[in-house]
Amino acid sequence: MKKLFFIIAVLMAANGQAQITKVSLQASGLTCSMCSNAINKSLKSLDNVEKVMSNISTSTFEISFKNNAAVNFDELKKKVEDAGFFVSKLTADVFFNNVKLLKDEHLPFAGMNLHFLNGKEQTLNGVQQIQVLDKGYVSSKIYKKNSSLTPMDCYKTGVAAACCASSGMIAGSRMYHVTLL
Amino acid sequence: MRTILFNTLLCFLGMYAQGQELYVYTEPASNMAAKSIGFRLTNSLMQQVSNKEQYNFHSVPELMIGISKKSMLHGQVFLSNRNTKLITEGGALYYKYRFFSVDEVNKHFRMAAYTRLSYNTSDVHQPAIDLFGHNSGVETGVIATQLIKKVALSASLAHMYAADNGKGNKFIYANNNRNAVGYTLSVGKLMLPKTYTSYNQTNMNLMVEMLGQTNWETGSSFLDLAPSVQLILFSKVRIDVGYRFPMINDLKRTADRGFLLRLEYNIFNAF
Repeated sequence: MKKLFFIIAVLMAANGQAQITKVSLQASGLTCSMCSNAINKSLKSLDNVEKVMSNISTSTFEISFKNNAAVNFDELKKKVEDAGFFVSKLTADVFFNNVKLLKDEHLPFAGMNLHFLNGKEQTLNGVQQIQVLDKGYVSSKIYKKNSSLTPMDCYKTGVAAACCASSGMIAGSRMYHVTLL
Repeated sequence: MRTILFNTLLCFLGMYAQGQELYVYTEPASNMAAKSIGFRLTNSLMQQVSNKEQYNFHSVPELMIGISKKSMLHGQVFLSNRNTKLITEGGALYYKYRFFSVDEVNKHFRMAAYTRLSYNTSDVHQPAIDLFGHNSGVETGVIATQLIKKVALSASLAHMYAADNGKGNKFIYANNNRNAVGYTLSVGKLMLPKTYTSYNQTNMNLMVEMLGQTNWETGSSFLDLAPSVQLILFSKVRIDVGYRFPMINDLKRTADRGFLLRLEYNIFNAF
């Protein structure tokens, strides 16, 4: 297993890649166990999800994924909303390998595009936690508050706009705005 | 303003602590999960006003489908022994659409609109309109529900129209009595468990609901009080037991008080 991990790490090191190992999300709008179970079952219906550990009293769900499965935050959010609720917080444990982080830079990442709203200029290595700050991933209050972190248009729409062109993003592609925790 | 109103209502009701919104006699503004299916069997035993020894038994099997996160559909079949033996008297379709939702952790305020289209073949035997097993007709309404931690408060306002029943059973009262306004106020509180540890814990909710109707034309009303207790088993089975009785009783019904027993089973990600 360790060997496999090493091989994956070496393969990823070639172009500075990253892999999501775990996602933790908190849902809003519920207090009952039947509601929590609806979210639990909804998340489990995703093909790439291996296990969901839920805490009913805090409305949090820890999601682990099948080996090397691509993770899509929007898919997870949709599953919570299908159950009739909303995401109020989503964090992901990410294994970084030699990834350069720059504020307001756009980073192609594990099949998704990330835009770091804060964080010092640094090279990321090992497992780090990120939080998604897009609309629908935090309470509307926090979303508004965070708008001061970047003047860029893509924060409002969640998709790459003219502001992202310098990073080579195709206009209209999904852009997740995140922060390093 | 909403918070002030809600707090005032809570104080008024003497419930400061924490309830739930899976009401026994009404529907909350929240919907069931998308792609889930529920089966319900609602049984009621209502005491006749004219002969207190006599109880009418109504049974309503129901299929519930979560079409999307915002909309759900119920199909209901009405069985009753009011006239003879237990026979099928009709059915209804109920559709609900959630059009507003503000959610925070352990809190939400939601609003929904609903409509019920009912068909019934029994004789029309009371001026009060009941589209859940007595009259053919249409009901359209709005629901607002506020959940804060363990307490849920919900109110609804609806318009009801009674058509002629099937099999030649006409609406026997004056034509201008066919319209009524329905209104409800429900409070639910989660009593058990005190702290959640697993989906297998039994949940117990206590509810108190007020169910009213005023005839648009005559102004006659009834207002019932309906306390109930609810158990949720394994986070998918519901058992409801309730009793309703009139506090205001100008709008005549042939059976105005009695018990309700409901069983419900939910399947998530059914399709």
